[in-house]
Amino acid sequence: MRTLSRRDFLKGSAAGLVGAALSSAIGGTFALAEESDYWANWGDIDTSEHVVINYMTTGDKPTGEALDNLNAMLEQLNAILTEKVNAEIEIYYIEWTDYLSNYNLTLASMDGSVDLVGTASDWLDAWPNAKNGAFLELSEDMLSTYAPATYASVPQENWDMCKYDGEIYLMPEDNYAQWTNHGFAYRLDWAREAGLEDGVHSWEDMTTYFQYVTEAYPDIQAWDSDGTNYATMVGGWISSKTNYVSIDGINSGAMWGGTKDDLYTVYSPYATETDLLVEFAEMMKSWDEMGVWVTDVLNNTDASNRDEFRVGLSAAEQHHTQTWTDLCSDTAANTIYEDDEDAEVGFFYFGEESQNVVALSITHGAMAVSAASANPERALMVYDLIRNDEECYRLFNYGIEGVSYEITEDGYKTTPEGYDSETQNINGMTNYWWGRNDDLEIKSAELNWDAIDELYAIYDEIKIEYPYGQFVANVDEISYMIDNISEIHTNYMKQIAYGKYTGTAEEIVAEYQAALASAGIDDVTAELQAQFDELYGA
Amino acid sequence: MNGEEGFMKSKEKVAVKKYKSKLTFWQKVWQSRILLLMCLPAVVFFFMFSYMPMPGIWVAFVKYNYRSGIFGSKFVGFQNFKFLFTSGKLLSLTTNTILYNLAFIILGNVLAVFVAILLNEVRSKYFVKVSQTIMFLPYFISQVLVGILVYYLLNYDSGFVNSILGALGLELWQPYSDASVWPAILIIVYLWQQTGYNSVVYFAAIMGIDESMLEAAKVDGANGFQRIRYIILPSLKGTIVILLLFALGGIVKGNFGLFYNIIGTNSLLYSTTDIIETYVYRATMTDFNFSTASAVGLYQSVIGFVIVMVVNFVVKKIEPDYSLF
Repeated sequence: MRTLSRRDFLKGSAAGLVGAALSSAIGGTFALAEESDYWANWGDIDTSEHVVINYMTTGDKPTGEALDNLNAMLEQLNAILTEKVNAEIEIYYIEWTDYLSNYNLTLASMDGSVDLVGTASDWLDAWPNAKNGAFLELSEDMLSTYAPATYASVPQENWDMCKYDGEIYLMPEDNYAQWTNHGFAYRLDWAREAGLEDGVHSWEDMTTYFQYVTEAYPDIQAWDSDGTNYATMVGGWISSKTNYVSIDGINSGAMWGGTKDDLYTVYSPYATETDLLVEFAEMMKSWDEMGVWVTDVLNNTDASNRDEFRVGLSAAEQHHTQTWTDLCSDTAANTIYEDDEDAEVGFFYFGEESQNVVALSITHGAMAVSAASANPERALMVYDLIRNDEECYRLFNYGIEGVSYEITEDGYKTTPEGYDSETQNINGMTNYWWGRNDDLEIKSAELNWDAIDELYAIYDEIKIEYPYGQFVANVDEISYMIDNISEIHTNYMKQIAYGKYTGTAEEIVAEYQAALASAGIDDVTAELQAQFDELYGA
Repeated sequence: MNGEEGFMKSKEKVAVKKYKSKLTFWQKVWQSRILLLMCLPAVVFFFMFSYMPMPGIWVAFVKYNYRSGIFGSKFVGFQNFKFLFTSGKLLSLTTNTILYNLAFIILGNVLAVFVAILLNEVRSKYFVKVSQTIMFLPYFISQVLVGILVYYLLNYDSGFVNSILGALGLELWQPYSDASVWPAILIIVYLWQQTGYNSVVYFAAIMGIDESMLEAAKVDGANGFQRIRYIILPSLKGTIVILLLFALGGIVKGNFGLFYNIIGTNSLLYSTTDIIETYVYRATMTDFNFSTASAVGLYQSVIGFVIVMVVNFVVKKIEPDYSLF
């Protein structure tokens, strides 16, 4: 390079465009070379002993033909893993039935039966398990040696959010766009029939919609709820009507938090927003009287509303945006689009009325290493490859190309001819929700990207980042109060959110709040405030 | 006469003493080897499953950490019991649990004895076998299925009962919103499930009654009811008392499977159906706290122990022969 004269350089610039194209091409290969360079030092690591890494995930173990297909993929993947790090991966399933208990029990047994542990700070007990000693502390040294690509791709501030007591326990899924804020997926075409031209944009619109649907379509169950959505319902109501931002991982009701304007003053809207809760209780009573759900909704445990929605037997599904992205798309399972060409599925997201949407915490999905793992180094190496190596990533997430997926000319992912979603959906078997990577993700051709991108754009505009990522509450002293508060919340909210209470809305809310007070909700708030002050400064 | 009897007794005593002193412990063991061998499985079972885990009670008093283990974790005293005592529900939960169990024990045994006696009076062997089998069957049905059966019988919109009521033009029944009807429903379900099984024990005891007593009574002119009243029932007293004592030991331990599967998490019904087990399950399943769970278990065991001791003491006062120890 030094020998290049200025003249030569100018000459070169004559080929402006070509040069730019070239340099970007070179840049591209450079980046690739750099990526594999992450793993260049692995040659020094002793991998002479072949090991099996058990990857623990929630999900039901596939059976029959599906299992054969999974094994075919694993065979290919394991050949690569063996060649690169002399290890192979096996999947250890925590079945959905009673998954949280079984998940914790498996970790507590500490017998080395699992190495890599898929976890989450909000819906799986990542922090309690870290505190209880189930997870290995991951030193930056270890990470940079055995998971160098992951280490380099996660920014320092994100690593900080994975620390408890100064030690990293989790490798976050921080490069994957998904929205898991809840709301109602509903039939946009029916909403228009109900006179809601733009669709549903408030709880009041939702009432209008249900009113119409229960009258116009008496044969379908407007929402065949299984009686478990009480916490998301009231949580959605509160985020729609206030600026409340909840703290994850304290209890399942997410009953403490701050407001968008004052993030670090802890309060519980459930204890203070009396009028709002009364209004909610009244509206839900009216939904109950309309027959939105079945009369014995609280014992309706075998309902499968989402499947009913897909085939046009229900008119609403209360879940998160990610679920809606599937429901709004003309996939094989969603027969409503085939049966009715007008069918369209809209999404009313909680928080829409007050523009109150919080982005997902980066530890909504994360990978940890079991403290009982015999081969934590190799576990990290396997994870690093699955998360960052294109070939491994595609195999593990999509399966074998040509069998489980194909790539279209315009770069979308689609299913090959003869594809059977029951047996060939590898993505639904490996359940890898702990390190998906947008750099390697391929968009699915089947999804309704116009609608999805439109909503995502709105979210991106109004969202705030989850503000409490670094806060890990120490609940040892107050857990008994929180347990009792959770129990009270659950018991009353089931009655309130499904309109099943006797007496007036005012009475039931007063009773609920009195019970919360006597269980010590103010003490918990004060304790959390003290811990907030310590972390964020008074 | 008296003197002679006394002499005989003391002679016997001497003989026994001599006999005793002759044998060493191991000789005695050898002599009763068959009997000892027969109770070995039970001894091993109780040693392994009841005595060996006992030191684990300690977990109720520590802040359990997986890596430090039960005895390495930090001692926290009664902290783990706090949750139970501050909920304000301990009294209602304990009374619910005990009242249900009392109903199960009393009604269960009365009905079982009644059924056993009826079966005993039936002359057709074929009929006895068939009816016993039919009564026994519900015992093998999983509680989960029982919960679903009850739901499909009683649910408001499409339940069996309401379909009939609706067809007859009667007012529909809404039990899943009415806490007051559940004690009766739960007891009926329990009896339906357990009576066949329980009656087998009593039926066997009746079979064991000396046939000649019943024949003698017959010859003396006792009718069927009198034979039941004066021979069968008194002969069953021992069995009844021992089964009662065993059952009372577990009176603070609720039948989780029955309650959880039938009531589920329908909070409208908790006032009459919530027992210690279901409450603890709901309140701690989210944070998976071994220590709290063990604290609850210990609380139940202590109360159960006290109750057994008291009842046994009372029985001993009234009928020493029937007491456990």
